[in-house]
Amino acid sequence: MNGVELKDRIEDGWPGRARCRFDAARRVNEVTCERAALADVCRRIFHEWDFSFAGLIVEEGPDAWRLRYVFYGERDAGWVHVLVAAPLAENAFPSVVVEAGIYAADWHEREAEDLFGVRFEGHPRLGDFVLHDDAWQESVEPMRRGFDAVAAMRNRRPDADWRPQRILQEPGAFVMPIGPKFSGVTESVHFLLETVGEDVIRSSTRLFYKWRAVEKLAEGKTPDEVLLLAERFAATTAFAHGLAYCQAVESIAGADVPARACVLRVFLAELERLRQHAGAIQEICESTALVVATSQAGILEEELLRVSGNLAGHRYLFGLLTPGGLACDLPTGACREALGAARAVLARMRSLDDELRISSSFLDRIEEVGVIFPQVARAYSLVGPVARASAFVRDLRRVQPYSGYESYEFDVPSEEEGDGYARLRVLFAEARQSMRIMEQAVDALREGEIRAPVNLRGGAALGAVEAPRGAAFHWVRLDDGGRVSRYHIITPSFVNWHSFHLAAEKFAFQDFPIILSTFDLSVAENDR
Amino acid sequence: MSRWVIRGIRTGIKTTGYPRDPEHAPGVTPGLPVGDVLGAEAAALAERCPTGALDQKDGYIAVDYRRCVHCYRCVRGVPRPLAWQAGYEWAGLSGEPRAQDRLGGPFRRSIHILVVDAGDCGACLNEVKQLNNAYYNMHRLGFFITPTPRHADVLLVVGPVTDHMHAALKKIHDAMPTPKRVVAVGACALSGGVFAESFVCGRGVSEVLPVDVEVPGNPPPPLAILHGLLVAAGRKPAVPLTSAEGGM
Amino acid sequence: MSAQGWMLVAVFALCAGGALAGLIVSDRRNPAVLAWAGSLAAAAAMGAAASVLWSGTIFEATLWTVVPFGKLAVSVDRLSALFLFVAAVVLMAASVFSASYLKRYAGRYSLKAMNAWFLLLAASIVLILIADDALLFLLAWEAMSVLSYLLVTFEHRRDESSRAGYLMLAMGEAGFVAVVLVFLFLAANAGSLEFRALKAAAEDLGPTARWLIFLLTFFGFGIKAGLVPVNAWLPRAHPAAPANVSAILSGVILNLGLYGIVRLNLDLVPVDMVGAGLVVLVVGTVSALIGILYAATENDLKAMLAHSSIENIGIVTAGLGAGLIFMAYQRPALAGIAFVASLYHMINHSVYKALLFLGAGTVDDRTGTRDLNQLGGLVRAMPWTSGAMLVGALAISALPPFNGFVSEWLTLQTMLRAAELPSIPVKIVFALCGAGLALTAALAVTCFAKMFAMGFLGMSRSEGAARATEARKSSIVPMVILAALCLLLGTLPTYMIQALDPALQPWTHASATEALVPPFFASHASNGALPPAFAAEFHDLGAQVGQSVLPGRGLVVLHRGAAENPVVFAMSTSYMLVVLAVLLGLTYVVLRLWLTRRRRLARGERWDGGVRRLLPEMTYTATGFSNPVRVIFDAIFRPTTVEDTRETVAEHFRMAIRRNHLAVHVVERYAMQPARWAAMGLANGLARMHHGRLNAYVAYVLLALALALTLGLA
Repeated sequence: MNGVELKDRIEDGWPGRARCRFDAARRVNEVTCERAALADVCRRIFHEWDFSFAGLIVEEGPDAWRLRYVFYGERDAGWVHVLVAAPLAENAFPSVVVEAGIYAADWHEREAEDLFGVRFEGHPRLGDFVLHDDAWQESVEPMRRGFDAVAAMRNRRPDADWRPQRILQEPGAFVMPIGPKFSGVTESVHFLLETVGEDVIRSSTRLFYKWRAVEKLAEGKTPDEVLLLAERFAATTAFAHGLAYCQAVESIAGADVPARACVLRVFLAELERLRQHAGAIQEICESTALVVATSQAGILEEELLRVSGNLAGHRYLFGLLTPGGLACDLPTGACREALGAARAVLARMRSLDDELRISSSFLDRIEEVGVIFPQVARAYSLVGPVARASAFVRDLRRVQPYSGYESYEFDVPSEEEGDGYARLRVLFAEARQSMRIMEQAVDALREGEIRAPVNLRGGAALGAVEAPRGAAFHWVRLDDGGRVSRYHIITPSFVNWHSFHLAAEKFAFQDFPIILSTFDLSVAENDR
Repeated sequence: MSRWVIRGIRTGIKTTGYPRDPEHAPGVTPGLPVGDVLGAEAAALAERCPTGALDQKDGYIAVDYRRCVHCYRCVRGVPRPLAWQAGYEWAGLSGEPRAQDRLGGPFRRSIHILVVDAGDCGACLNEVKQLNNAYYNMHRLGFFITPTPRHADVLLVVGPVTDHMHAALKKIHDAMPTPKRVVAVGACALSGGVFAESFVCGRGVSEVLPVDVEVPGNPPPPLAILHGLLVAAGRKPAVPLTSAEGGM
Repeated sequence: MSAQGWMLVAVFALCAGGALAGLIVSDRRNPAVLAWAGSLAAAAAMGAAASVLWSGTIFEATLWTVVPFGKLAVSVDRLSALFLFVAAVVLMAASVFSASYLKRYAGRYSLKAMNAWFLLLAASIVLILIADDALLFLLAWEAMSVLSYLLVTFEHRRDESSRAGYLMLAMGEAGFVAVVLVFLFLAANAGSLEFRALKAAAEDLGPTARWLIFLLTFFGFGIKAGLVPVNAWLPRAHPAAPANVSAILSGVILNLGLYGIVRLNLDLVPVDMVGAGLVVLVVGTVSALIGILYAATENDLKAMLAHSSIENIGIVTAGLGAGLIFMAYQRPALAGIAFVASLYHMINHSVYKALLFLGAGTVDDRTGTRDLNQLGGLVRAMPWTSGAMLVGALAISALPPFNGFVSEWLTLQTMLRAAELPSIPVKIVFALCGAGLALTAALAVTCFAKMFAMGFLGMSRSEGAARATEARKSSIVPMVILAALCLLLGTLPTYMIQALDPALQPWTHASATEALVPPFFASHASNGALPPAFAAEFHDLGAQVGQSVLPGRGLVVLHRGAAENPVVFAMSTSYMLVVLAVLLGLTYVVLRLWLTRRRRLARGERWDGGVRRLLPEMTYTATGFSNPVRVIFDAIFRPTTVEDTRETVAEHFRMAIRRNHLAVHVVERYAMQPARWAAMGLANGLARMHHGRLNAYVAYVLLALALALTLGLA
């Protein structure tokens, strides 16, 4: 089914209640539908036509709410944006989680409710999400246009009687709190594990301890200023997020990124993926207390950081991207040199992989722990290596290619088991594929421009990039003055954190850090 | 198991010679801009800095390292770029000049460090993590990471201190035994970085806790953080956190 | 009549008088009557017992003579006196404790009944211990059984109390039948009911008869002592009773079972079979293990203590078994040590278990719950109770310098001596039992660490626990005294050994004092008996220190072996206490007065990971604490899942997970249920004979007559 057929199906399905506009260039079907038809439309897109749910974008117009449900499918099917609008006074929408059975939208709806005060009827778990109820009163809606931060701070009324939500009813059950400060060098996040001792029976994650209100900060800033935020809100995958943001801005401006810049972007994005996967492998080895392997993987990560630093000036590739291309050219020779260095690192990574595959003490700890079943991966619309380890394969580079990925030859590795070991194997396999892409990219480097002029104008677009941890979506709306009026980031960690609790449950406490490490989740990416 | 041991031994020694010898390997640092005399173009260049790290006065440019976020906008895409230095000994003392006297002492020998993420983007934290890898191996210098404030001598804070982490950070600091030192790492922890200033983010750690040592960089490379720890231990001299006009 | 006689008369007079006085005064004043009458009677009993223990003269008296059966007689030898003294101590503590504790029942249950039953129970206990003939013994035993049933079902409106009491009575009666059979057989054999005559006549019994008598008595008294597998009543009855009665049940009545075993199998019909000893040893060890496993995983404070009673009585029984085996193998010195260790542990158990039950009663009274999952944080509101409970927990966990340590250490050391025995299979059994007891000791520590940590430390997990206040003085004083006794019994073991030894010498014919307590105090007369080099070495170690304060042989428990192995085992908790005190003092001086003298002491809040507010539900519960034990010993507990449901909304939102497990007690599963099925099967079979046909009944009568005639003729 391609985009045009889809348009016909939607228009035939709900005559008069859903209008569809197909944008062939962006391969987006924009469906504008009534509130009453929303759940039905979304259900068919998700369940019948097998689209993934990318996210929910809430925008507060001058006099109306505009909600945009974004779906993406296989390559031909393209994108579907389901739009629904309502006057500002009527802030209640049907919950697609409950009504359409799209559980993947759960956290998106909770986030929108917490930040905008939009109600989703029927959703059983609203509130106490981004803004913790024991820190802020429920009425604070910081993403609203008229939000008065000073007044909100002055009238702060945290809920003094806040108690963790407990669902386990068993004699002697209790909640084990972990964090926000726990273990050695870890990001701040709070886990509440319901248990009767030994085994985690229900795990819930309390995130957003690090919420920096990046989306609010971006409003009213120039695209160049917002780029700094896009790169820096989750800097371990800075390049991927910067790239997604730049693509959105370029899409609004209609700018054509020069070929050399596209190739360099691919090269750098894959270098970042390689480096991030090395870091993730190091974390996994560390969580199983396999000391030599931890140290070996640590060496690989540091060497790749040095390769990045040497090539681009910055170890996390800051400051290279700019809307329209790259801020400076990288000499082809330097790229080739970096490729050689990365290739040497990859060779040692493969030998580490071989060694780990025959270390029984290591395998005992990660095999058959933290299992995510394929149907769960689909129901939660999981992304990245986590999804691909559970046989849910949807890589944006392959299904919705950008920056010329369609011209590269590579495989999208996947596994069936969905356990910790499957995720580790996917990481190793993806690292090898990244090297394949980097080799092709260096060969494809031709001299030329690296930056196209960008004419900023009003509009909105979605930038989508397969970041190392999975699909990242940046929604940017520019006002007529060329300033950002709405910026919404949907990150792979936000999506995958949603399912993490399922993997952690029914396992003993000592498996918890191992399961956590195999998910390769970033709190900064989630918290924004 | 013996395979791993042999593998480890065959890897050889990777560890840097720092602090005994300087480290010159490529890619260990993103570098920082150097203050300069630019004349007429100074004002335009200072204007380009998104975080206000560049201060120009009569054609002289002074750099406040605490604010630099490595956006490279003062060197890339400008007709006359600022000079760029590739050092990493960046850590300086916070505020008062007498701070130097208070350092060292009980911190000269091995110290235990509690790392707290107060809203970090992940990069600073990742660089702190690198300190434990074979290249930097901070254990050889007597620095150890501890998960509990009860054992901690030094509190290492990364991130701009979000509202939600505010209370936790204070609690952690209170839970540490005295004497204690606070090392703030990264532009966000020093000045709020690109996240300053919103209703959930302030201008860094010093608004919440008394900071002793500041390590600029976004993120500071592992060697800079190591330098910060050595400064806190009184084993290396601190450097100024702002460049005087026209030089380092 | 002698002074001892008058004191015993006073005991009965006070008990009877108190019971009567209670009926006259109002219900409200009955606790005071109970406290006064009970404690005075206990004091009198204590006096009588002490004088016998001290002087060693056996007190004897004949109450009256019944022509065909002989006479009803009482006698107090050192063994009786020992049991009597311990019983009196517990009785006194429980009586004083009752004064304020019983007020909680005022208006709801009859305190007059409580007063009367309690005092009469005390009298019956004393009577059992001093009875010198079978009739008096059995009468007193039956009275004790019925009275304890009445006291367990004191809260008769509670279903569980009446069920538990009924089970206790039923099982007790089954044991009583066995005991009656033994006495009938012995009496028929001797033609008299007097113990002396029974004993004299029993000397000619053959091995089959001895085995039969041993098995019947061990079964009959084992039920009262709460030994596995006949202990199903104990974990229900002990917690169901009011706390003062629980203390008596655990601290005294279990001892009566042991008294019966000792009196019959050591005194009247001495057991000289190795096999019998092995049975006792194995049953004791299994009881100890099963008891502590269930104690460690139990969350009801009093039920936990009841399970732990099974454990402790198991240890005592294992010691007895070891002694019997050593006797059978002609190792009197080792047997003496084993018996001393065993009785020492029994006394210790009485003291700390009484203390713990009183404490549990106090906690129940002040917080309204006994569930450890609901308690927590009591140490701040109830410092005295908590302190006493801490001492009890340390003592029962066998940690020095408290009393549990000494007796468990001695028991384990004696078991290791089995290496000297000739038989390999016996050695293997000893080794396995030793390992079992060592595991028991380890589990006991986790069990009571759980009790104290979950009950008294941390945050209060319920309203009741949060609002608790300290108990009244009359509750605290007996607990503090018992706690002090725990320390005393733990730090002066040499004196305890010397006191216990004479009680057992008539049967072991060896002195445990000689075997365990060498005369280390320089002035002691028999000091010359020690090898000089050996004495000099211990002199250098300071084994003389303390002589000016304490008279006697010394403060070191030491078992001497042959010349090549002069010290088999040695220990001194007395010196340990001194060293401990000095070290603690030194630590304080060095740490606080010297190293940190210029530092201001800062009190930090507990570290909780930086959460905004740590809530009680975020702290470990007793279930969580003991879950590892439950998981490791899954094969014994065999929990079955009775509920595992989840409630969801919209397929994925889980609103509730309900889980519940049920674990049938292992004894219930493998002993009680089969026994119940067998009994029901038998009853059903017999019921078939009652079909109402007259001719069949006539046939039964004829058959019975024929049978009787045949037997009579034969």
